[in-house]
Amino acid sequence: MDDAQVVAALVRRCVAGDATAWEDIVRRLNRRIFNICYRCTGSGDDAQDLTQEVFIKIYRTLDSFDVEKGSFMTWVTTVTRNLLVDHFRKTKQDRVTDSLDNTGSEDEDMLPLSEQLADSGPAPDTRVHRRETQEMVQKALQKLSPELREAVILRDLQDMDYKDIALSLKVPEGTVKSRINRGRVELARLLSRTYRQVM
Amino acid sequence: MQGDFQNGFKCADFDALLAEAIDGALTGTQLMRFDAHRESCAQCSVLFAEAKAGHDWLETLPEVEPPVNLVKLILAATQETVRAETDARHARQSWPERMRELVSLKLRPAFASIAQPRFAMSFGMAFFSVTLMLNVTGFRLTNLRHMDLRPSSVVRSYYETTGRLVKYYQNIRFVYEIETRVRELKRAATPEEKPSGTDKPQERKEQNRGNDREKNYQNYSREDSTPYLAQMSNGVQDELAAMRRCS
Repeated sequence: MDDAQVVAALVRRCVAGDATAWEDIVRRLNRRIFNICYRCTGSGDDAQDLTQEVFIKIYRTLDSFDVEKGSFMTWVTTVTRNLLVDHFRKTKQDRVTDSLDNTGSEDEDMLPLSEQLADSGPAPDTRVHRRETQEMVQKALQKLSPELREAVILRDLQDMDYKDIALSLKVPEGTVKSRINRGRVELARLLSRTYRQVM
Repeated sequence: MQGDFQNGFKCADFDALLAEAIDGALTGTQLMRFDAHRESCAQCSVLFAEAKAGHDWLETLPEVEPPVNLVKLILAATQETVRAETDARHARQSWPERMRELVSLKLRPAFASIAQPRFAMSFGMAFFSVTLMLNVTGFRLTNLRHMDLRPSSVVRSYYETTGRLVKYYQNIRFVYEIETRVRELKRAATPEEKPSGTDKPQERKEQNRGNDREKNYQNYSREDSTPYLAQMSNGVQDELAAMRRCS
């Protein structure tokens, strides 16, 4: 019995009124949902509030989930994504980057990132350095537009496949791939600029 | 662009396969054509390097540990929400809706055993009997108000209904009593014919008719006023005796 089947069985038990099943679902999914929220908002407090909201929404609408129609994880991701979109609207967090064409100078864009990062030396081996790097990546992630951010988070951090991402975001698979490409490239450009400033 | 048409592989094709190539999902001929285009097209090469770098940067981000009490908070929040929703729904509900919900929750198992077609006729007859009884007693459901359900109103309704029933019964008894008295007076006022030898068969017939009438009177008054009839019969006999003496 794989993970999806276990979750589906838990959902059925929960709909039937089993409180322990709901607790199991929360224990299984809270880490994943919290991570998505944290990476999208960049704030631990916001992520915690949003995670609670997501679970409340799931609990209220669990009856409407059809086990036969699709994966529970995809459905949960869709719910999370919708609440994140609402959150962005509320906080008016507009996207900082708009397109690939108007970021950075022409020369900078033409340089491969491997060359841009050549001076950075070996990968950080100390804990502090690693944490700083992670904070820098997280900040760069926050500067991406929400569409690009959610696509790269779901693919590179949550390891979802393109099909599930397309279902969650309600866009065609080609659009998902395009957003992932643009998100990765955009992130690399932002980080290369930041890294040069730091250096 | 340099490699636009090299091997029929365009930059748009490269772009479409870029994500899969970085994820390591490309194999065989597709991968070879992709790599060939990347080496020949400077722009696509840069694009690939940047996308790969972005992917590598994202790989450095670890999974974040959620707060320790998050699960408890979520469970408390969901329970609180459910409770609040239930309270709000109860506040919005009128009392018949609440009763219906209560009945459906508590008595559903009990009703499940009797909610069968074979009991439909029994329920129908019971309903008909109750309705008939209510109609006879003058009870109208449409006249029912919540004011009527106060204990004082219920007691008053009981006494009013009882009084109405007693009055109805006494009225019927009075009517029967009057009718009986009138008939007996009529019979008493009729002159008694003297018996004669030639009229014997006729007299016998009349006597038979008289007996029949008496029987009928007895039948009419058998239900309620038998004691009164007995008393009246004595009175009538006295009157008859007095009339005979006078004549």
